[in-house]
Amino acid sequence: MNRYRTYIAAVLVLCVLVGIGLFSSRFVLYLTMRVMILSIFAMGYNILFGRTGLLSFGHAAFYAVGAYGTALCSMHLHTHPLLVILAGAAAAALFAVIIGFFCVRHTEIYFAMLTLAFGMLVFSLMWNWRTVTGGDDGLSGIVRGSISLGFFAIPIMKDSQYYFFVLFCFAVSVLLIHRIYQSPFGLILAGIRENHIRTEFAGLGVKRYRLAAFVVSGTFAGLAGSLGLLLESNVTPFAAHWSHSAEPVLVSLMGGLETFSGPIVGSVLFVVLRELIERFTHNWMLWFGLILLAIIMGFRGGVVGATSVLLKRFSERP
Amino acid sequence: MDKPGITRRDFVKMGLLTAAASALGSGVMKPVGLWAAAPKIKGPIKVGYQAVLSGTLAGYGEFHKMGAIMAMEEINAAGGIAGNKLEVEIRDSTLAAPASIQNVRYFVDSWEADLLAGVDSSGQALAVAPVVGQLDRVLMVTHAATERLTEEEVFKKGIKQVFRICTPTYQDGNAAAFVAKDLPATTWATINPKYEYGFTTWKMFQETLGKLKPGVKFVADSWAPFGTTDFRPHINTIMDAKPEGLYSVVWAGELITMIKQAKQAGLFDTIKHVLLPVGAAMDVLEGLGPDMPDNLWISGRYFFLYPDTAKNKEWVAAFKKRWNHYPAYVSETAYSTMYAFKKAIETAGSKETAPVIQALEGMELDSPAGHRVFRKEDHQAMYEVPWGLTATDPKYPFKIMGKQIVIPAKECFNRPPFEGPGTTPPFKS
Amino acid sequence: MESFVHVCLAGISAGMFIWLVASGLTLIFGVLRVLNFAHGSFYMLGAYLCYTCLRFLGIDFWLGVIVGPLAVCVVGYVMERFLLRRVYDLELPYQLLLTFSMVLIFDELVKIIWGAGSIGSPSVPGLSGSLMIAGRNFPVYNLFIMIVGPLVAVGLWAFLERSWWGKIIRAAASDREMAAAIGVKVPSLYTAVFVIGAWLSAVGGALAVPYVGLLTTGMGEAIIINAFVVVVIGGLGSLKGAFLGALFIGLLSSFGTRYIPTLDMSLTFILMGVVLLWRPQGFFAGVDR
Repeated sequence: MNRYRTYIAAVLVLCVLVGIGLFSSRFVLYLTMRVMILSIFAMGYNILFGRTGLLSFGHAAFYAVGAYGTALCSMHLHTHPLLVILAGAAAAALFAVIIGFFCVRHTEIYFAMLTLAFGMLVFSLMWNWRTVTGGDDGLSGIVRGSISLGFFAIPIMKDSQYYFFVLFCFAVSVLLIHRIYQSPFGLILAGIRENHIRTEFAGLGVKRYRLAAFVVSGTFAGLAGSLGLLLESNVTPFAAHWSHSAEPVLVSLMGGLETFSGPIVGSVLFVVLRELIERFTHNWMLWFGLILLAIIMGFRGGVVGATSVLLKRFSERP
Repeated sequence: MDKPGITRRDFVKMGLLTAAASALGSGVMKPVGLWAAAPKIKGPIKVGYQAVLSGTLAGYGEFHKMGAIMAMEEINAAGGIAGNKLEVEIRDSTLAAPASIQNVRYFVDSWEADLLAGVDSSGQALAVAPVVGQLDRVLMVTHAATERLTEEEVFKKGIKQVFRICTPTYQDGNAAAFVAKDLPATTWATINPKYEYGFTTWKMFQETLGKLKPGVKFVADSWAPFGTTDFRPHINTIMDAKPEGLYSVVWAGELITMIKQAKQAGLFDTIKHVLLPVGAAMDVLEGLGPDMPDNLWISGRYFFLYPDTAKNKEWVAAFKKRWNHYPAYVSETAYSTMYAFKKAIETAGSKETAPVIQALEGMELDSPAGHRVFRKEDHQAMYEVPWGLTATDPKYPFKIMGKQIVIPAKECFNRPPFEGPGTTPPFKS
Repeated sequence: MESFVHVCLAGISAGMFIWLVASGLTLIFGVLRVLNFAHGSFYMLGAYLCYTCLRFLGIDFWLGVIVGPLAVCVVGYVMERFLLRRVYDLELPYQLLLTFSMVLIFDELVKIIWGAGSIGSPSVPGLSGSLMIAGRNFPVYNLFIMIVGPLVAVGLWAFLERSWWGKIIRAAASDREMAAAIGVKVPSLYTAVFVIGAWLSAVGGALAVPYVGLLTTGMGEAIIINAFVVVVIGGLGSLKGAFLGALFIGLLSSFGTRYIPTLDMSLTFILMGVVLLWRPQGFFAGVDR
């Protein structure tokens, strides 16, 4: 029963997204793409945060590495979208292996601070390595090539075409992450969050699993960075800044930490709320802060978590 | 037990999505092509303006706003643009490239702006240029100074939709070298921002001064990252090198801090020749007040006491009356942008992008900052901003420009095709 | 040589500011176990309120240094009593998010009240001069800051180690339940500690007014990351560690800018990474006990 509902929900969301892709104006397309890319970023992030219980403050580094990797690849090698995205995600994975190797030795606040330090090192690397990264101006004007598949090619130049490519990547990511959560690997990660000592006693190398979670989530961040770069055709070092690392944290917490759809709902809220607030005030930070405050105090445990608890209680009433 | 919970959750999710889509989708299903058919200008003329309204540099955004709104009020009071009302919407650019792209897309695709303006940082300008080209709207840059915008994006890549009304880095690098060549100093050093703006201006200054005055030496450079609040280590570096001249494009609040700390360290007692290309910004002059030392060379993108014309004086007086402030340079560029748009649209008889571009290319504009010409090749506005020595004037609670020098834009702005000999100053003819 | 001396002096005085902010952050983290992102906002509010006393109320600077931070204490009280207290049972990230949303709100409120533009601050009478040290001018005010920092450190130490209140705070820090069991009103104690922490940060902000010479709405964020780094390398919750850490960070950035300028943006983070990998309990963990 439960499973059917999940499928129905997924199909409905997919229909809505396809509908937006077919009938919406360019701005709605653009915002929806932003939402989907942020969702990939946040869902990947949540493998580490919600599932494994590790709060990273440097995940923007992998987003940025993905974006720069994609940009450099399409500027100097080839513009085939699949190739450049693969390059971006691979670069992010590589960085995640190296940085993760050091970071997973610690947990809690030490882990958070360590990831912050590494994230900011990546930021200053991108800022200072001017000949390759373009310094603070970043890299701009990156063109989206066509997806050529031997005898025919799918153009993604236009936003309305690229939208479906992003939607495809989003759907695949959701499926993949869903599979990861259902797999033994995902269950072990949850075990680590609940009690890492007991997991260790069960004969599992906790550090190795943490590292694996770190790399997987870093790779999704890189994928989001690649897609973001192709959308904006531009990247600057601020993509790696700690303030950008705060975004997936914010989104996950807004939506609900230990829920699957939390990061997606959080992304919708984050992007749409900001856009709407900006339409009636220049003091958007004040209103955004107040809404955040209301979400923390009112929906304890995020919007999705709190809503489902509420609905559950409601339905249990005779 | 989960039954109703899950369906209702889906329902909420769906509701959110559709609400979002309908709230944002004001552009859905509108016949876009209809406007194009009518030859006459129809409906209000909408200008989407973005400037930084949050964070450390939010003061600049306020000054942008004052200039833009004042021009809008004036133009509408005088009958609008070709009989149509001018509408300006202002959005926060937050100095971040993604935000500036989202703003531009919002303006064009959702708010249906006819023209775009603003943009503070160079990174943002370079990020927005290709998007503006794709969306096909004219963008008038009012603050970002990077020469790459006009040289590469407009001239080389042919993004004809982008124009710039403020002075570019040429004013900060090349013109400063023209001022420096007549000073007795032969050794120069810099404390510059540790980002592209700082790197390019110092390079330009060195190259041009090296050509104008062979034998001049550059003895030290110290680079201050964005957000520096303690300049003492940088000041120590410079004082150790004992140069005769100091060059610095550190700007806004950081310049205030740097000057105060340099003064405390006695830097101005040992280094007599100081060039501050953005020192004549109003926030700096007002922020320092009497703490600004006398006899430093300052300049900007506009200074309210230049040119000494009736038009400028009237404007400054009107501005003071409207906002109780002296106009900052971004106020002038924002203000003049609206008049540039007005003139271009009225000349073209249309608010469509292509005819407006055609009208703007080579257009002359009488503005508070003086006579501007939009150079056809790279869409850069050519006009003069003076360099001057800080001086005390009992009429003002801050320092103003005393002795002034004007380096003609023709002499110090790089020339197309921007590559090869004869494209950088000094020019033969 | 004269440069060396001055780079040292600049480093020490910069470190003392970070210390004033980091001391409150350490105290709050040590007792409440909350990482307060809004701590930089207290610094900013302290500065703006002190400036207001100075500029509009006509009070002199020293009175401003006292009045401004006291007003911030009220803000701190409200924030702890009515907001933070309700999320102690939630996970750490939610507390962090709450303080983060407060940063947004405080920044915007300051912009609405004092205007968006940066404000140049007037200099302090009596302390605006310079002394000739090693052949170069050094501001008297910076020397003053170099005395205030250690004084605050000694005062805090005496308060925590010698006073009755200090003993209770330490007791609550090491075991919340036990302290409650022997009759300590833990919630009120938490409020008190939070207010003291806010006060320390605000004093730092007020004293920074003539030092930085500038007030901006983003000034809190500029210092909070450095303060975080100090708290971490000092060994989370250790005041002595934070003091030495702040001094070290100040000197490191000063020397870094002068002698290894290519690394100046990353030095503090390299240091933090190395400390966390090498001695996660804190660089100066040994000195505490």
